[in-house]
Amino acid sequence: MASIRFKDVTKRYGDVVAVHDLNLEIKDREFVVLLGPSGCGKSTTLNMIAGLEEITDGELWFDQQIVNALPPHRRDVAMVFQSYALYPHKTVYENIAFGLRMRKLAGAELDRRVRDAAAKLEISQLLERRPSQLSGGQRQRVALGRAMVRQPSVFLMDEPLSNLDAALRISMRAEIKRLHTEMQTTFVYVTHDQAEALTLADRIVVMNDGLVQQIGTAHEIYERPVNMFVASFLGNPPINYLKGEMTRSGDELRFRRGQVDLAIPPALAARLNGFKGSQVCIGMRAEDVDERGTPAPGRAISGRVTSVLPIGSDQFLGLELEGEELFFRVGKDLRHATGETAALAVDVNRLHIFDPDSGRSLLW
Amino acid sequence: MTTSAISARRSRVMPRLSYDERSAYLFVAPLAAVLFIVAVFPIVYSFYISLYNLKLTRPRSVPFVGLANYETVLTSPTFWASVERTAVFTVIAVVATSVIALLVALLLNEDFPGRRVLSALLLIPWAIPYVANALMWKWIYDSNFGALNGLLFQLGFIDNYMVWLGDAKKTLALIAQAFVWKEVPLAAILLLVGLKTIPADLYAAAKVDGANVIQRFFHVTLPGLQSSFALVFIYEAMMAIRHFDLFFILTEGGPGNASDVVAWRIYVETFRNLSFGTGAAMSYILALATLALAYAVIRAMAQRI
Amino acid sequence: MTMTAASPARHHRARSDLSRAGRGLFLAAASLVFLSYVLMPVAWLVSSSFQSEREIVSKPPHWLPHEPTAQNFSAIFFAGEKAVTYETRRKGDPATGGFIPSTAGNLLPSMRNSLVVACSVAFLNLLIGVPAAYAMAKVRFRGRQASIYGILTTRVIPDIALVVPFFLFIRNLGLLDTIWSLIITYLAVTVPFSVFILVSYFESLPDELDKAARVDGCSRWQTLTKVFMPLALPSLVAVILFAFLASWNEFLLALMFTQTPKSQTLPIIVASFTSDFTISFSFINAAGVLAIVPPVLLALLFERYIVSGLTAGAVKG
Repeated sequence: MASIRFKDVTKRYGDVVAVHDLNLEIKDREFVVLLGPSGCGKSTTLNMIAGLEEITDGELWFDQQIVNALPPHRRDVAMVFQSYALYPHKTVYENIAFGLRMRKLAGAELDRRVRDAAAKLEISQLLERRPSQLSGGQRQRVALGRAMVRQPSVFLMDEPLSNLDAALRISMRAEIKRLHTEMQTTFVYVTHDQAEALTLADRIVVMNDGLVQQIGTAHEIYERPVNMFVASFLGNPPINYLKGEMTRSGDELRFRRGQVDLAIPPALAARLNGFKGSQVCIGMRAEDVDERGTPAPGRAISGRVTSVLPIGSDQFLGLELEGEELFFRVGKDLRHATGETAALAVDVNRLHIFDPDSGRSLLW
Repeated sequence: MTTSAISARRSRVMPRLSYDERSAYLFVAPLAAVLFIVAVFPIVYSFYISLYNLKLTRPRSVPFVGLANYETVLTSPTFWASVERTAVFTVIAVVATSVIALLVALLLNEDFPGRRVLSALLLIPWAIPYVANALMWKWIYDSNFGALNGLLFQLGFIDNYMVWLGDAKKTLALIAQAFVWKEVPLAAILLLVGLKTIPADLYAAAKVDGANVIQRFFHVTLPGLQSSFALVFIYEAMMAIRHFDLFFILTEGGPGNASDVVAWRIYVETFRNLSFGTGAAMSYILALATLALAYAVIRAMAQRI
Repeated sequence: MTMTAASPARHHRARSDLSRAGRGLFLAAASLVFLSYVLMPVAWLVSSSFQSEREIVSKPPHWLPHEPTAQNFSAIFFAGEKAVTYETRRKGDPATGGFIPSTAGNLLPSMRNSLVVACSVAFLNLLIGVPAAYAMAKVRFRGRQASIYGILTTRVIPDIALVVPFFLFIRNLGLLDTIWSLIITYLAVTVPFSVFILVSYFESLPDELDKAARVDGCSRWQTLTKVFMPLALPSLVAVILFAFLASWNEFLLALMFTQTPKSQTLPIIVASFTSDFTISFSFINAAGVLAIVPPVLLALLFERYIVSGLTAGAVKG
């Protein structure tokens, strides 16, 4: 059993607040990803779970026990580090066995568990080598093996894939997901890569500047971001923002900015009831446009093409309008040249609307 | 209230030492104890003694005299004369050590067969005791049979054997030479480390800019060695100012008082004149001066970085 | 046309060959110069120690002994068996008479004292310094920054300034004229530099190793002994070396605290010979040679640890 609960937890380094008033519950066997830019406090949070960082204020619970004062070697957690942190003076076998030896395991049982883990990770042939003789991918597997073999209650991973090349990263992602299903253990995973978060997580915790921005499933966070930071952090290319005015035109709510005139569907308009102001910021995801056919009025934007970047399956189209440069994903058959004017149909049902001052979403 | 709630209250109200802090203090405790008893305490005690007129020649009468000992020392012309000699010695020693060590470091920075052997052999002066160093040079400088005389005589530079250590004009320089000979290896290592931290790219860029060897030396090497030089200067200056062994064995402050430096003066005052009070005061003045010097150089260095 | 095209290339190759040879010559010459600077005085010391009293007073000196003799060394090693008396000196017995001091027999025991003191100090330096250095390098605790600065400043005070209070302190403890007085004081004098070396080296070892070990189940002590100490071996050797050499070579404090051969160390005995003008220089040089053999051997054997122990992290790759 290993549920983790942060209750009003703050972490301060002198005057700097790294994590502010964190309240988070991680259920047993969940795969939770802490996502955010560098310096947002995600690694600090992970280290607090491991016991590597002291908690300044608040309580950390493992199941029914407060563990604030419990040193790391007495917590049943295992951790995989970004730099793998393998013991250079030990063989691969000893690296994997080390944690078990510390917990007084020995003999045949120890040997069996080490070899089982090695077999699962396909590194059995490397057991007698030293870390310096291994490639990055191999070292990563040893690090995984070292953590796995202890069968811990909580599995922590701090950006374990950042140092791998792109192809390896994708295959390792799948492997980590598989590991989670097999081990049936709580996984807490830290990354700044939104693709990793979206593919691996049961739930994602988006953090910025020491504060939790949003907690939810990948779908929830992508479809219903609660503020501009979260919306822009997920999605590639990032969401396009445009500030403008909300006006009523008869029964309709319309968004206006210069030449841009978009009709807000009634479903979305209904959610805006409480909003008193007139200035808003709308968000358009790069993929929520269509370049084919002729777009209907009130559902289109047009501007000057600034760049066309083919990336194989799609193209990135840079469009300049109202002094802003926006980027969209369009099909690979689109033929526009830089400097031309292009018109795109906007899926207004998928518009995001934010309060430009607070950044908060007005819809969710 | 449940136990977890109680301990939760406690952890918020009473910040006990964390496991890490407890371990750290335990690990550091023996070191702190040793240093306190054998380093901090003597420093404090020594100051205490300097406030008393303590002469072991009349141990019964030990009046408190406050800063009078300091006054005596600071107004004594003998003291200032020895300070001057110390300064001369230190300057010669630091400059000579730095120059020779730099040349050695530059040589060791190059890659050539036998470099490892050379660098091992160059450590020999550093490894030998000061006493052995002293007697070696005493023998070499000997006026009657010394090797220095013999060499110069054989090469035809002099017609007769000369007096070396006994010549007041040459004493400090000769002692400094013996000191430098022993200090060069360590200084060379410190400078070599500094040399290795200068990025090779800087030399490449300078070459591309058209700089020749000499120019590269003055524009890349020397500036890159600034902090290493500062370290060498401070360390060697401190070693030179406090140095005692050579003065004791080679000249005992002589001839006359040609090599009567502050370290020697303190020894004489404390252990021959048996005036512990003034001896302690002198030591303190020396200690403060050394501290001030180190602080000044560190400040100057910190501003350059 | 073909002629002019070929010759610049050949000319250039010849030029670089020459400059390479020139560089080699220059380096060889420089090496020779520094080697002589370092080795000639020592070589002369060794050579003199193998010369008899008669030969050593030649003018000009015999750079290599014409009649090498081991009598100086035998006087040291067999001093116990051959007593030096007025009679032997008067008879000019080359082994004990002439210019060999009666205190020659103190040399070997003093070497033993030096050895005991140096080994103890080296060992204690490790025992006390390693845990402290680990804590200062890897553990965050209140007072960490202050302790690092504090340790270094204890060494800014010159030894002379410490002699009086040390002397009174040692005397009050009744430890005058024992090797304990030396062990304690040498420990205080060497441990700051040792800790400095160790902290630098520990700091260059990755923090994540420390974290991995702690998560793997190591207490702080186990992290130190099972993970960091094996990795810090070069610095440990450097500490042993520095502490041993500093203790072996130390003179002033030994002068203060030791009075009889019971506790006197090698530098003191050797120094006592040099102040006696009746003693022959050939004998003194022999004593000097004995004094330098152990530290020089150690330094040569562990030379690479000295540099790597000092330069942890400074040179990457």
